[in-house]
Amino acid sequence: MAIVNISKLSVIGLNENKADILKAIMDLGVIEINNQESKLTDEDWSGLIEKDGDEESVYSMDIKLSEVSAALEALNKYYKGKKPLIKTRKPVKKEEFETFEKEAEGVYETVKNVNSIYKHISYLKSEENRLNTAVISLKPWLKYDVPLEMNGTKYTDIFIGSLPIAVEYESVVAAVNEASDKACLYKVSEDEKDRYISVISIKEHSEGVKDALRKKGFSPIVFEDVIGKAAENTAKFQEQIEEIKKQISSEEEKLYSLSEYTEKIEYYYDLIAIKRDGAAVLSNIVKTKTSFYFDGWCPKEKEGEVKALLDEKGCYYEFKAPEKGEQTPVLLRESALAEPFEAITELYSTPNSNELDPTPFLAPFYFLFFGLMLSDAGYGIILTVGCFILLKKFRLEGMFKKLVKMFMYCGISTFFWGVMFGGYFGDFIPVAAKSVLGIDITINPLWFNPTEEPMTLLVFSLILGGIHLFVGMGLKAYMLIRNGQVVDAVCDIFLWYILLIGLVLFGVGGSFSPALTEIGKYMSIVGAVGILVTGGRDKKGIGKITGGLGSLYGITSYLSDVLSYSRLLALGLATGVVAQVINTLGSLAGGGVKGAIVMIVAFIIGHTFNMAINVLGSFVHSSRLQYVEFFGKFFEGGGTIFNPFRRKTKYVDIIKEEK
Amino acid sequence: MDSMITLFNFSGQFYALLGAATAALAGIGSAIGIGIAGQAAAGVVSEDPNKFGQVLVLQALPGTQGIYGLLIAFIILLKVGLLGGDGMVDITVSQGAYIFAASLPIGLVGIFSAIAQGKAAAAGIMLVGKKPSELAKGMIFAAMVETYAVLALLISFLMINSIQF
Repeated sequence: MAIVNISKLSVIGLNENKADILKAIMDLGVIEINNQESKLTDEDWSGLIEKDGDEESVYSMDIKLSEVSAALEALNKYYKGKKPLIKTRKPVKKEEFETFEKEAEGVYETVKNVNSIYKHISYLKSEENRLNTAVISLKPWLKYDVPLEMNGTKYTDIFIGSLPIAVEYESVVAAVNEASDKACLYKVSEDEKDRYISVISIKEHSEGVKDALRKKGFSPIVFEDVIGKAAENTAKFQEQIEEIKKQISSEEEKLYSLSEYTEKIEYYYDLIAIKRDGAAVLSNIVKTKTSFYFDGWCPKEKEGEVKALLDEKGCYYEFKAPEKGEQTPVLLRESALAEPFEAITELYSTPNSNELDPTPFLAPFYFLFFGLMLSDAGYGIILTVGCFILLKKFRLEGMFKKLVKMFMYCGISTFFWGVMFGGYFGDFIPVAAKSVLGIDITINPLWFNPTEEPMTLLVFSLILGGIHLFVGMGLKAYMLIRNGQVVDAVCDIFLWYILLIGLVLFGVGGSFSPALTEIGKYMSIVGAVGILVTGGRDKKGIGKITGGLGSLYGITSYLSDVLSYSRLLALGLATGVVAQVINTLGSLAGGGVKGAIVMIVAFIIGHTFNMAINVLGSFVHSSRLQYVEFFGKFFEGGGTIFNPFRRKTKYVDIIKEEK
Repeated sequence: MDSMITLFNFSGQFYALLGAATAALAGIGSAIGIGIAGQAAAGVVSEDPNKFGQVLVLQALPGTQGIYGLLIAFIILLKVGLLGGDGMVDITVSQGAYIFAASLPIGLVGIFSAIAQGKAAAAGIMLVGKKPSELAKGMIFAAMVETYAVLALLISFLMINSIQF
């Protein structure tokens, strides 16, 4: 229900058992091993120990891992079967995984095979590209009946090239004739941009001809590595392309057939990842000639299991409670109902080890606020059922699972408020009944209709907000008292309670009994004077007075905090009214079959949109009320999450058999 | 007041409709805001196409102002009877002018807050580009801006709701 107690653990063991012990610790997965860097420079230690570590095998396994993931990526591209909508880890029994370890080397061969095939395919594809480019560049010369490498005869030079189509051809001919009477040019072909020409000129005049052509925008073209006529070469290249295509498809065929090994390769990836982590953890261990040492953290409730393990392996060990104020890693444990809401806390920050876990306190408010903002029975049912199906169909884990579960709960709250306010896909039922069937149905809200009585809901929202803020302040007071700062709790929290309650009584108490106004007046005065006097108690001299004034001025922030809860009304209205707009649009086509069809189309498109945008809005704004208004009152955060040395796998989830 | 407004010789209904139109103008801000966020989103997706879903969520955030504007416009149309079967009700020029005045908060605040929110959302998208795990924080930054659109929506709504015919 809160932050789990964590103990500090130090262990000394014999080097000869080290691998065995570490493997057992990894299996157990409840110890976080600390970095020992500081010990190496500590005078008391540095003479005795040296750093352990096996960077070479970490490095080689990292390379292996990148090979494996490259192979998985390649296979993924050629995977023929249906891919699941959400990729989840596959549960595998420990024994099964251990059997797999024996055939692992064979899988590595497959990985190498896949990678080499994939590399070959990439090579073939770049070859194909190259040939295609060559074919395109030869295209203008298909009708040119001279071998392309031929650049002259004994007495003549031959050159080919392109001229911009914008240059008039006759003027080019004239220019060439002017430069030499022993040169002529042929137009081979033209496209929308260029004209392709071949020029033959007697050797002595060729420089002059080239100059004349250059002035007209001529750019020479030289084909390297092409022997023979363009048409012959094109045919040859095309043949090669066909051949390469065949090769590619046969290689791809191989990958298709190899994709059945995907699962095995995924197992292999995790196997190597586990081994890598096992080797990497050594750099957090120090050793002497015969023994090793490490320290770390372990949840107090797991001490028994750890003791049993370490006793069995013959280690010396010591458990210590962390010192007061010492920051330890944080492990959260919630009741089943509050657990999904841990996602909201985690998205903000992990609490630090000296404070309260806010999750159980924010959970009921989050549930309530989300429902109030979405407040439509129809949307609530869809949200809950949708999330329920997701949870049943997929084996979700971690943050994603928490969020889905949280939305499932919030859907229930949405349904509840929808019934209270009379929203069932907005006013769909009465509108549809009237326009399509021509009958009048009214659905009365169980409580009231917020569009008609917005002030009631506004006041209700602000009251909820006040309660939310008071709970936050109460948690702050609890933490202050727990740390022995009773005076601070009284001055910073309880005086505010008196002032704020007093002000509310003074303002609205009169409508119940005039005596309440009177009480409120005195409470306000006591609170305000108290804050004025104590607000600057940590400061000196004039600061004592300004500090008090400054604290009292903080009342504006309470005002803005409470007003912030008016969004509960605003977002609730947004859902309801937009739903109403959609239904009105749907009813415009009137009755009959046509009207019903229009209604259904408007219903599906409109409500999908409205629900999506409002679920997002409700999620964001409920979170904001927690993060800014609620957490602002007491929560610091900034803790590090407990991250034990365990098997961190990506594709499989290794399940231990329950004893 | 009546005498001044009748100078223009417009009917009360005209002012009411002008109010509905003004409220719907909040959509301008949403369009600009979503546009700004969309540019940033496309940039991030060009680096990592897998982030599409995450940045889309952020891009959608400045869209709510347009919806709030639509909401107020719709309520005005309902109130003056334009959407009911019975036709427009008779309203005096000053009643119409009241409705116009009530539409101003969401119309104006909607435009400017959505543009500002679009910029905050774009920055949030950049944040997700670098640190995908911080999506929630990026969303909260954008939602901080939206508070003022929510307040304007409330004021517009409460004003329209309390105008009596």
